[in-house]
Amino acid sequence: MDHSKQVLVVDDSRVSRLMAHQFILSKHAGWQITEAATGEEALEKVKALDPYLILLDVNMPGMGGVATAEQLRALYPQTHIFLVTANVQNAIRNRASELKVGFMEKPITEVRIHQLIDTLEA
Amino acid sequence: MPDTLQRLTLLESIIGAVNLGAIVLDENRSIVLWNRWLERHSGWKADTVLGRDFFEVFPELQHKRIESAITQALRDNFQSLLSQSLHKSPFPLYPQAAATSDGRERMQQAVAVTPISLPGAPRHCLIQITDVTVAVGREKLLREQTMVLRSQTFSDGLTGVANRRHFDVAIDKEMRRAKRSGSPLSLLMIDIDHFKDYNDQYGHQQGDTCLKQVASALATMLNRSGDVLARYGGEEFAAILPDTEPGKALMLAEAIRKGVRALAIENGHEDGAARHITVSIGVATQSGAAPLDIDQLIGAADRALYQAKDGGRNRVASTAPATPPA
Amino acid sequence: MVNLSELENDALVEIFNIGVGHAAAAMSEIVNEEVTMSVPSITFLNRADAAALLGSKRDGDRICGVSQHYDGAFATEAILMFPEDKSLEIVRLMVGDSVPLQELTEMEQEAMSEIGNIILNSCVGTLANLFDSELHGSLPVYHVGTSTEILAVFGDQGDDVVLMLHIDFVLAKHQIHGYVAFVLDLSALHDLKEQVNRYLAKVFGTA
Repeated sequence: MDHSKQVLVVDDSRVSRLMAHQFILSKHAGWQITEAATGEEALEKVKALDPYLILLDVNMPGMGGVATAEQLRALYPQTHIFLVTANVQNAIRNRASELKVGFMEKPITEVRIHQLIDTLEA
Repeated sequence: MPDTLQRLTLLESIIGAVNLGAIVLDENRSIVLWNRWLERHSGWKADTVLGRDFFEVFPELQHKRIESAITQALRDNFQSLLSQSLHKSPFPLYPQAAATSDGRERMQQAVAVTPISLPGAPRHCLIQITDVTVAVGREKLLREQTMVLRSQTFSDGLTGVANRRHFDVAIDKEMRRAKRSGSPLSLLMIDIDHFKDYNDQYGHQQGDTCLKQVASALATMLNRSGDVLARYGGEEFAAILPDTEPGKALMLAEAIRKGVRALAIENGHEDGAARHITVSIGVATQSGAAPLDIDQLIGAADRALYQAKDGGRNRVASTAPATPPA
Repeated sequence: MVNLSELENDALVEIFNIGVGHAAAAMSEIVNEEVTMSVPSITFLNRADAAALLGSKRDGDRICGVSQHYDGAFATEAILMFPEDKSLEIVRLMVGDSVPLQELTEMEQEAMSEIGNIILNSCVGTLANLFDSELHGSLPVYHVGTSTEILAVFGDQGDDVVLMLHIDFVLAKHQIHGYVAFVLDLSALHDLKEQVNRYLAKVFGTA
């Protein structure tokens, strides 16, 4: 049975959001997915949600993924939060570790999204 | 067929004779060619590495630039360059055959990674290694020589005004002359305000440009024939003004202060308002009747400069009794 | 001239952001410092306008360019460009030198060539992989000159289009703005548009 879970996808690229959205649904068709284009918008929209999973693009104008992750982690200590970036280096690994969030590498592919969801359910 | 065999032998001889290292990897990153140059400079015979995974032979190169270069050659058909300046000596290769790890330095290497297309076979990858030790050494020598030459000249490389060396010679000469002729000698110490902030905010290249602009403005304003303008330190200039009374020195200093401010070089903000590059100037004069030592005059000018900074910057201060111009 | 839908534009910007993101990770590994790069926007221009965009406040200001030629699924000259003093700054930051000489030495030019090689291969590589295209890339070539000179190095076809990427490069608190230019003739531009469409259809068309 596919319990409906709530997911928030945050990325300034519409194509990226659509891809993440689509790949999540292909694994769990019943999940409810909300999109936001900026960190600020994410913080607004999350108020109406009880998020199970949040995906945050790191490279966004305005607040940026890391600052948003920090705020979200404070508000939702139990939610699975992942930073999404093409630039995986020590600095971001350390930052993610400090904030107790995960990270996923770009490009966003169906395989990567499904693997990420698998690790949550393990 | 003899022709093809002959050609093959010829090509193999060439690979054996070229003055660079050639490694070829197959699609699984296994070593399928290791030429004679490499045998000489690594101390490893070909049969000890052939057939092995490249990263099993060189585990320290995993996850480094060369790994992505190899991947890009095999997967994407792209060529890559590993410059010596960014990767001095990725491979354990030494100038002479026998010198493996007996404390000798590795040779400096330039590396190129090239995809090799083969008809009827998957893509292979060629890694070419060139010994650039001599070129690097030559460039280092040239740089050192330039530095030495620079220190031997009298002008500051960046701004073109006199350098510290020249100042030291000039102040000595002028003070002795002033003592001999009983004439006053003034010294200005001119320091750019908040220059560290400027460098931090705009970068060192722009910091250099700012120094050049300020120096140029100073040189224009200090154009009397006996005056000596020099770059005293990083952002500090000194001006020796022979035959100059305190009042005149103060006037000149004030004109300089205004002139630099008038350049209107932006230097960030302070308390919300735009800030511009300014100088603080310390003025000291030795009278014709009471000449000082070099240290005393410089010390007095330095103390005056400190007063100017302490008093809020973008101002002139002096330690000699000043007679304001009539 | 060039009509990209909002979605096509978004896809290209995102692909190039991924490309420079990978390049930044590679450069970070080399210098062991935090490096970030992003492509805030792309524009399509004719050659003259591209040269004007790159030409700086003072005429004759020199630009350092690193170019590579790609052909196969589409053909293009790709050029990474920074103002000369910025190139100097980037190389000195990457190489860790601080000798106050005005120009890049030969060894440093090679370092700049490698930096171009990393960034260009990463951008084009990401494109090629996502579009499932076969390409072949050359080794980098270093140029220095005015923007017009650099863009003209590959001949001047009247109807060439330049796809210009604005690049923000940040290394250890030094923020540097540069460009990557892809010079495309009309058929290459057409190929590119077709590839973007095919990619979008593949990802979304089947949903």
